[in-house]
Amino acid sequence: MDVKTLLMIALAAIFINNFVLSRFLGICPYMGVSKQLDSAIGMGFAVTFVMTLASFVTWIIYYYLLLPGDQNLFGILFGLESPPDLTFLRTIAFILVIASLVQFVEMVIQKVSPVLYRALGIYLPLITTNCAILGVAVLNIDEQLNLIGTLVQGFSAGIGFTLAIVLMAGIRERLEMADIPKPFRGTAIAFITAALMSIAFLGFSGLSLQ
Amino acid sequence: MKELIRLPLVLGITTIIAATALSLVNNTTKPLIEEQKRRELQASLAEALPSAANGVVVPVLDEEGKVDYYKGYADKDTTQLVGYITLAYGVGYSSTIVTMVGVDTTGVIQGMRILDQLETPGLGAKVVEIKYGEDKPWFQRQFIGRRADELKVDKDGGEIQSITGATISSRAVTNSVRQAIQNLAKKIGGFPQKEKPTV
Amino acid sequence: MAVGKEFIKGLYSENPVYRMVLGMCPVLAVSNSVQNSIGMGVATTFVLLGSNIFVSLIRNWVPKRIRIPMFIVIIASFVTIADLSMAALAPQLHKSLGIFVPLIVVNCIILGRAEAFASKNNLIHSIADALGMGIGFTLALLTLGVTRELLGSGTLWGYPVLGGGYNPMLLMVLPPGAFLVLGLYLGLFNWWDQRRKTA
Repeated sequence: MDVKTLLMIALAAIFINNFVLSRFLGICPYMGVSKQLDSAIGMGFAVTFVMTLASFVTWIIYYYLLLPGDQNLFGILFGLESPPDLTFLRTIAFILVIASLVQFVEMVIQKVSPVLYRALGIYLPLITTNCAILGVAVLNIDEQLNLIGTLVQGFSAGIGFTLAIVLMAGIRERLEMADIPKPFRGTAIAFITAALMSIAFLGFSGLSLQ
Repeated sequence: MKELIRLPLVLGITTIIAATALSLVNNTTKPLIEEQKRRELQASLAEALPSAANGVVVPVLDEEGKVDYYKGYADKDTTQLVGYITLAYGVGYSSTIVTMVGVDTTGVIQGMRILDQLETPGLGAKVVEIKYGEDKPWFQRQFIGRRADELKVDKDGGEIQSITGATISSRAVTNSVRQAIQNLAKKIGGFPQKEKPTV
Repeated sequence: MAVGKEFIKGLYSENPVYRMVLGMCPVLAVSNSVQNSIGMGVATTFVLLGSNIFVSLIRNWVPKRIRIPMFIVIIASFVTIADLSMAALAPQLHKSLGIFVPLIVVNCIILGRAEAFASKNNLIHSIADALGMGIGFTLALLTLGVTRELLGSGTLWGYPVLGGGYNPMLLMVLPPGAFLVLGLYLGLFNWWDQRRKTA
């Protein structure tokens, strides 16, 4: 895979098909943690880290354990001529891997920065149900990316998520002081704000490195 | 200490039970899914080259063993070659558009089906839009009866009417199909000129 | 609490989408057409039922510390069953819904109900809860689906309802439209709810 393709993957994940504003992945934490800039930045980094790591691990598991073929580890370890096609276990395997990774990241953050740990609160374990993480893992496979492409997409998707959530937090901090009609306060106006951000990002649609 | 063994054990057993149940479901659904894919391919091939629909379509493989293109025969004994079917890949607005196109032995397009696209709904996605009451996407119908060198969108001076507001998608399909047929011509050693029918 | 009440609450007072603001990702992504909305609603309800039933059945034997991973294995299994069944029996829908079928596993509604309800209530009540939440989710999906398809494509379930002359509001089927319609409906829902309370 040449640099141009990798760059396109990155640009697509961050701008053209932003994971949050265009692909609708990661909405729950996007809405939940975008009220303050600091927690938004922290969440963004945590998600980016988990996404990159998860992309790597899930890709390895898919191609070396689930997919039948010469590289299948079960075939190599047990000397099987045609190792079983375990691709139907993809969903279970991936989500268990992600859940474990999040546990691990949670422990690391707790040790390294207790302040960030307290700030992120309940949202940290909720990264497990962040559809963006499972989403990017599944997309990496469906789009048949190789390992480098997967790492680039995983990382870029995280950056795209961070970009979206940080922008949203900046806007929402200002919205706090605005006079919003009562029914729209909180989530409703956040969605309408997201609509406007999404329109802005639509402008990136024609971007390509031809 | 007992906890440390019991917990992963319970989880492990649960996972194994789940995996076993799932493999049962998988074995039941796998043939159905394969059948669906097979039917889908047959339908696409038949649409691309209708004259071979009652005969047989034979894949021609490349050096890597993948399907390069198809040869279409009107009869099951592969004696009457009626045309070829090939795949075209065009970089569209937001996705790669995969088109299956069939030509007769002189290179005239007989049929076409866009197999895969993820273009903008309402704009680029209109390449597959079928108007209510019709049976084929109007955009693709324009290609039937034409030759590769005639394939250009109106904006590039050709006769293929592009979709309003979706020039890139229209161009991607048009150019990729043209390219694919020209590549096919190289592989089979060129298309013989059609003799003018004497009426 | 009566079984009926457990069912009804999912439709309005504890509607997973409008009240609890859960399961946003699929709501935004698949609500661009009525067909996709109903398809996703049915699939999610199926997984909810399966998961609630199993979690409720084993609720007294699940070690507290690993209950979340256990729930996840159960939910993921049902999602895989739904995924494979849909690919085999409704391939068009499966293609339309795309990655959001496997993503049902991270739909917070399902894990939420398993944790908050099914793990603490008996089988019958858990079934009622699952049905209520599932149908409530489907209804919410439909409010968006009908709006977005009608305004954005001029059709309902693919049938052109607004006539040929209607110039569709393209934005409705694109991402911004999803955010906008959901935001507006959320505001509307809150306003209606506040009026009910102060009336």
